Amino acid sequence: MPDERPQDRTVRLVRAAQRGDTLAMAELLDVLAPYVSRVCAPIALGQGPDAAQEALVAVFKSLRTLKEPAALHGWVRAIAVREAIRIAHRAARTVPADLSALPDRGDPQLSADIKDVLGRLSPEHRAVLMLRDIEGLDERTAADLLGVRPGTLKSRLHRARNTFRKAWTS
Amino acid sequence: MNEPWPVTDLDPVRRLHALAGGVRGAYVTEAYVDAPFERVWSLLGDLEGAFGQVVPDMERLRVVRRQGRHVEALVRSRYGMRARLRGVQQPGWCWLQSRFLLLGVAAAPEGPGTRVAFTGGVRLPAHAALIPLGVRREGGRSVQRLTALL
Repeated sequence: MPDERPQDRTVRLVRAAQRGDTLAMAELLDVLAPYVSRVCAPIALGQGPDAAQEALVAVFKSLRTLKEPAALHGWVRAIAVREAIRIAHRAARTVPADLSALPDRGDPQLSADIKDVLGRLSPEHRAVLMLRDIEGLDERTAADLLGVRPGTLKSRLHRARNTFRKAWTS
Repeated sequence: MNEPWPVTDLDPVRRLHALAGGVRGAYVTEAYVDAPFERVWSLLGDLEGAFGQVVPDMERLRVVRRQGRHVEALVRSRYGMRARLRGVQQPGWCWLQSRFLLLGVAAAPEGPGTRVAFTGGVRLPAHAALIPLGVRREGGRSVQRLTALL
């Protein structure tokens, strides 16, 4: 279907996959894998591939429960964030924002490596940064997705940005 | 924060696990084989040749149509069943289904060798589900046959 709009194609694939067509599932995987990987990587860091795989397993396992195929994107995002935080915790990568161990100002290795700076944040802080600053979600939507109150989201975002900024400029 | 954020990529073996997760009754057999990806895929990607020697129940496979990565093939099993498989084949990835059969193969380079994964079996028509008969055994036999061919 060459003239099909991307969102129409996605809806068609979801419906076919829900009916048991595994070829539609495989096509849907092509659509979803890059997005899920992009969501999981900044949160799960070194466990990014594990998190993306687990998130997609969860997506395909529960695809039948998705009532409105047009809502796929947000539904997948919620699963990916949840799985990325879970995998990051499971790998015991929760590093408190301890800035005392930061290399000196001007250290070329740190200043060039955003991943290193993110590694100094908790998975929850990385998730809130990703949702607000990469995905561009508003505070209420991000709060709903993370299951916290907007006020909590706001203070968490403030702390995450602050920690990130300090680590980045140290 | 305009610096590039971390990115990750899913190799074909991880993709196979993800997809099989949505197919009830599916089991993924994964193994490391001590041969480079190019050598392994030259066998697994040869649908009308070595592929049939790797997959235990396949007697004959004939590709009847190929358009880009999309493939259509007629297969005959050792038990006499015939099927028209449709699906996608590209380096490191092959996913084919008929009304009654499902076949999934993936390979990804890992160090000097290759990680391979197999899934598939007899489908329940109109369901993303396999009848879980001998699915694990078939996967194990595929790995043994592949290793013997390398």
